[in-house]
Amino acid sequence: MMKQISLFSTLMLFFVFTSTAQINKQKKADKDTENWRYEIECVGIGKPGTKVIKVWSYSKKATIAINQAKKNAVHGIIFQGYAGGAQGCTNQKPLTNDPALEQQKAEFFEDFFKNEGKYMKFVSTSGDGTPTTMKVGKEYKIGVVVTVMVDLLRKDLEDAGIIKGLSSGF
Amino acid sequence: MKKILLVCSIALTAISTTFGQAKKPTIMVVPSDNWCIKNGYFMEFDNQGTTIKIPDYKKALQEDSDVLLVISAINNMMTERGFPLKNLESVLKTLESDAAEDNMMTSKDSGSDIEETPMDKLKKVAKADIIMQLTWTVNTTGPKKSVTFILQGLDAYTDKQIAGAQGTGAPSFTAETPVLLQEAVTAHIDNFNASLQTHFEDMFENGREVIVKIQKWSDSEFDLESEVNGDELSYVIEDWMAANTVKNRFSVLDVTENMMTFEQVRMPLYNAQGRALDTRGFARELSKYLAGLGVPNKVVVKGLGRATIILGGK
Repeated sequence: MMKQISLFSTLMLFFVFTSTAQINKQKKADKDTENWRYEIECVGIGKPGTKVIKVWSYSKKATIAINQAKKNAVHGIIFQGYAGGAQGCTNQKPLTNDPALEQQKAEFFEDFFKNEGKYMKFVSTSGDGTPTTMKVGKEYKIGVVVTVMVDLLRKDLEDAGIIKGLSSGF
Repeated sequence: MKKILLVCSIALTAISTTFGQAKKPTIMVVPSDNWCIKNGYFMEFDNQGTTIKIPDYKKALQEDSDVLLVISAINNMMTERGFPLKNLESVLKTLESDAAEDNMMTSKDSGSDIEETPMDKLKKVAKADIIMQLTWTVNTTGPKKSVTFILQGLDAYTDKQIAGAQGTGAPSFTAETPVLLQEAVTAHIDNFNASLQTHFEDMFENGREVIVKIQKWSDSEFDLESEVNGDELSYVIEDWMAANTVKNRFSVLDVTENMMTFEQVRMPLYNAQGRALDTRGFARELSKYLAGLGVPNKVVVKGLGRATIILGGK
């Protein structure tokens, strides 16, 4: 009986420990997103209204970096933009040119970027979905190719009053 | 009570839609002179011994499918962004049909035709407040093809480039030119729109940039050096500009006794009553002020962005 209780307690402790570690890693990944700790590169011209990009994310756990790629992609399209490159890629300005927007609309973006949040509607993995993995120190740097539905994303943010549309005020 | 509330809300909506919005500039995509002349779509005139080439848009639209494809792609994308454009081909057709109708129209009572001055005729051209000027070149290196694409947003009145996007696409062995062109539009339109948006935001913050010219009829008793209200007329007008522009922003390009040109005039988007203002409305305020000082004058406008006040009468 005593043995069973101690086994159960050990299992519980292990479970609590691993899930807390997982949550902490996810929190760290979200913090990295807020701190712009990701890189975006253009990999080609997509269909009209979309952008095909490769997002490099960092995490000690590869799966978290892969999952974070979509969030980073949408975050980057809204706030960062990217430089041009090969395959006819032109530089892309961010959807907002207001550097304080993320802080001003913190409540909106907190909800928008929560796990499985609305951002998921505007992004999908592209190509065969195989990530490029590199080990950098104790972390993984993982590159994932994703497609962002930029026109839909812009329209959604315009409708929510977060960014201005081209014809706002006219 | 319900009826009163309903009437109030309808009235408020009407007021907000009438007075809450600035005059929307019109935009039209036009192939550049460079592209038209390179591709043989131009007309030649002998202007006192100098040969002048002017683009023949009608011929370009009738004979070149690529230009139609690019204009249509840009029009589509701008419509999706909530900013539908004027279509060059439709504008040219409307001008033709209007001219034909005007020629045929006669008064039922007197049989007289439509009165048209040479100036009216001169103004009958395809125009928009902002021209999206389009140029592309197909580059060929051996079997590889690529497209260099230039899109310029030009303010039709201030002659300034207010938006732009340009670049060369990836070379391809297999893609046809229309595919490369479609790809170029997709690659560049967002950047173009981003700079256009910056221009509009600047306009909302600092006012619309326009040009105001002052001229005089040859028989006018006033010129810009005449004493009016205790000062030279040119300074009286300059003081009015300083008081009525956003953040006092304007610059005087030229002044003589016969003419004066104000450039970079930042006029407000709304008047004191909250109504949307265009250059005609802005110039009318100056015109009324001058008339109040005993200087008769006439206002002539060109679209949303240029006005001339002619001193000495209507």
